[in-house]
Amino acid sequence: MSLFWIVIRRLAEIEEIMATSKKVITREEWEKRLNDVKIRKEDMNKLVMNFLVTEGYVEAAEKFRMESGTEPDIDLATISDRMAVKKAVQCGNVEDAIEKVNDLNPEILDTNPQLFFHLQQQRLIELIRNGKIEEALEFAQEELAPRGEENQTFLEELERTVSLLAFEDVSNCPLAELLDISQRLKIASEVNAAILTSQSHEKDPKLPSLLKMLIWAQNQLDEKAAYPRINNLSNATLEDPTV
Amino acid sequence: MPSATVNKPRPSELLSRLTSAEPEVKVRALREVKNQIIGNRTKKLSFLKLGAVPAVAGILADSIDDVTENNNCNNTNNFLVQSAAALGSFACGFDAGVQAVLDAGAFPNLLRLLANPNEKVVDAVARALRMIYQSKLAPKYDFLQQKNMEFLISLLNSEKETVSGLGASIITRSCETNLEQKALFDAGILRKLNSLLEGGSLSQRDASLESLATVFRNNPEVISKFAGPEIGRPLSSIIDLAKDRYPRTRLLACMCLIVIRNASPHFLQDIGIKTKLIHILLELLDDPGQVGDEAPFAFSSLIAQKEDLQKLALEANAIDKFHHHIKKGSLHPRRYEGILLALADMCSKLESCRSKFLSLQVLNLVADALTDYNAGVRAAACICLKSVTRSIKNLSAGYFMNETIVIPLVQLFLDPSTSVQVAALGATSNIVVDFTTRKSIFVQCGGMKQLVQLAKSMESSVRSNALWALKNFVFQADNRLKEGVFSELTASLLSSLIRDPEPSVQEQALALVRNLVDGCINLIEFVFAEDGLILGAIGRQLQCASKAEIGIQGMYALCNVASGNEFHREAVMQLLFTQMGDKNQSFVVKFLQSNDSQLRTATVWTIVNLTCPSSPGAPCRLEKLRNAGIVSQIKNMVNDPCVDVKLRVRTVLGQSMAFGDN
Repeated sequence: MSLFWIVIRRLAEIEEIMATSKKVITREEWEKRLNDVKIRKEDMNKLVMNFLVTEGYVEAAEKFRMESGTEPDIDLATISDRMAVKKAVQCGNVEDAIEKVNDLNPEILDTNPQLFFHLQQQRLIELIRNGKIEEALEFAQEELAPRGEENQTFLEELERTVSLLAFEDVSNCPLAELLDISQRLKIASEVNAAILTSQSHEKDPKLPSLLKMLIWAQNQLDEKAAYPRINNLSNATLEDPTV
Repeated sequence: MPSATVNKPRPSELLSRLTSAEPEVKVRALREVKNQIIGNRTKKLSFLKLGAVPAVAGILADSIDDVTENNNCNNTNNFLVQSAAALGSFACGFDAGVQAVLDAGAFPNLLRLLANPNEKVVDAVARALRMIYQSKLAPKYDFLQQKNMEFLISLLNSEKETVSGLGASIITRSCETNLEQKALFDAGILRKLNSLLEGGSLSQRDASLESLATVFRNNPEVISKFAGPEIGRPLSSIIDLAKDRYPRTRLLACMCLIVIRNASPHFLQDIGIKTKLIHILLELLDDPGQVGDEAPFAFSSLIAQKEDLQKLALEANAIDKFHHHIKKGSLHPRRYEGILLALADMCSKLESCRSKFLSLQVLNLVADALTDYNAGVRAAACICLKSVTRSIKNLSAGYFMNETIVIPLVQLFLDPSTSVQVAALGATSNIVVDFTTRKSIFVQCGGMKQLVQLAKSMESSVRSNALWALKNFVFQADNRLKEGVFSELTASLLSSLIRDPEPSVQEQALALVRNLVDGCINLIEFVFAEDGLILGAIGRQLQCASKAEIGIQGMYALCNVASGNEFHREAVMQLLFTQMGDKNQSFVVKFLQSNDSQLRTATVWTIVNLTCPSSPGAPCRLEKLRNAGIVSQIKNMVNDPCVDVKLRVRTVLGQSMAFGDN
């Protein structure tokens, strides 16, 4: 009887060892395997160009094109137009931004009620920020109220924004976040994405997706092996496996 | 309060600047108008009312003349671009704007400008035209004319996305008949669209999917030619796009596949594709934008009238998902309407779906929708109720006859929208078929009186649906209820409804009488009220019945009358033998010879009741029937193909032999 229990216990121990022991891959082995993987230079160049173009770094894209011979997948001239719009929003010149978008493609704001509403909302915020209260009131009444009538889903957001007018000290009121610069950046990003989509270009660069894939793949591998990991994406150094 | 916006000219001021002699002033005003109306429906309307569209169209026309005279190129192009963009914006999603642009005569000018050498001009013009073609008001494009087809091909072949997109939208809007679809196929358009599917940009793929769906609609011949071996495996490229990363592309691809499925029994019938389509559409519901709004409509087109798909959708938890979305609340009205209609389709045939629906307590949410501010939502809620109330099990349990549902439903009888009224009546017709004693709730909340009021409506669809609901209401109802209905209706109203100009109304009125007099012998007196108004109306209507259904209901009404006493039976006899003009033949023989088996059945049943052996007047009546040739007609029907007819014929003949037939 006791022999039986000894065998059972031993089997359980073996199972535990097998479950917790992962395959260990040394740095040498790992680097050797990595070296065997072939990546084409053209693919990397395309990734870089895609990043520069999508984010709107026109001059960098131009230079990169000259130095590497990589062709952008979008007309660089349109990038500068798009960047002018983005910059106008980031500086708070919303009216200017709207005119520029309409020059680029009048359909964008005509077919994107949510974006248009956000831009109008930002105009109101800028007027309030500059202390032009009367103008803000008039603008809210003439331009924003009809948007709320045309589309009920905007009413709630509209009410929030208009209630800014009720506060004497706007920088300290509960809705102060609307006045933050980050609000401008949010809208700028929204406009940028809309312009890219209208040009049949993807609004997100490919690079982040690759990095996400890397992190996911490493997480999956962590369950099966100990290996040199990339923990810092910005310098991509291999860190020795912890055993 | 002084106006702070000093540099903003009023609309009327802007408009007058459009006619300025100075080009600088004019172009700036034009650009300002364009910037004010883009995205702003309210401004579009106010500028429209001020006559902005003809003014802008005029600038466009003048600039074309400048082009031909080779005047200052840059300036001219600027005018062309801005005026085309403004016209396009007026037409964007705004039917009044489209009409104004067409009325101003801008359309032919825009078409001409497609050949302009300047890219920006062509882009602006192509966009404007595409906005027009997205509206129902767009001028019809005649595909069958050779040069039109060639022009269309040149548009599709253009390298400019705006221009090829215009070509696709012309197809999507204007292609309607099978002949046009075939002409497009023969001209090789489908091949071109397919190449845009595989190699084009995002907007080209989407536009192509919409156009393909339009060309495939209800045309199995074109579909099988397209899916045939010569073009490779094009259906697979559409199927792949149903899994695309962009939601709009997925939706359009699904819609295209559904069109193909519905038109042709040979394609996309395996369970794999069916399941896939269901899953993709249900997942698209999660999209917060327009794609999610339209997804339920596509879902409906997939499953409507198809039990196998409804079953698959039930297994995929479709009802749970729809429930989840409605529960979230504050839905866009289009989405709300779509989901309600999808639920209606799900529950239209299968009891399993209805059980699931009721078990999840979705009914309360649908009852809320009955009071929504949007008419489409209200109508959809009624249609959904109509489907769910087909559940006999729950009807018998009196599940639906309660105040949460009945009161808002009855309120909809007075809805300003006719389609809502009719939908509410449809749901009511089912609910009042209640086998419990709770029908009185309907009377208490004024429903019955409302129905009678609606039976006097100007709209024939409202009249006939109100009568339908009343007919179901009195079905096997107790005497008190029936008397209540009859006194509210009055004999004169009912007889005039029997003689209504609309056949559908006549039919329902006769069916209502049939149900009213069914059962207790006292109820038969209804038809004799006010000097036999109703009975007379029945007789006159049967003589000139325009369709079989009228004959069927009328004969069953007479059949029920003839199940009363001798007086009743004699009255029916007299009716049957009233001559009309010089016809010797009673309409009875005509009905007995009808192709419609139900009509034959109803007529023979009436004869059965008239010749019932226990009644003293039967032999006399039988003699009359024999003399009119009716008995011999019945004898010829001994081997009628319809079993019901055959059995009743034997009963009549059996009864006639009891009186000694020769």
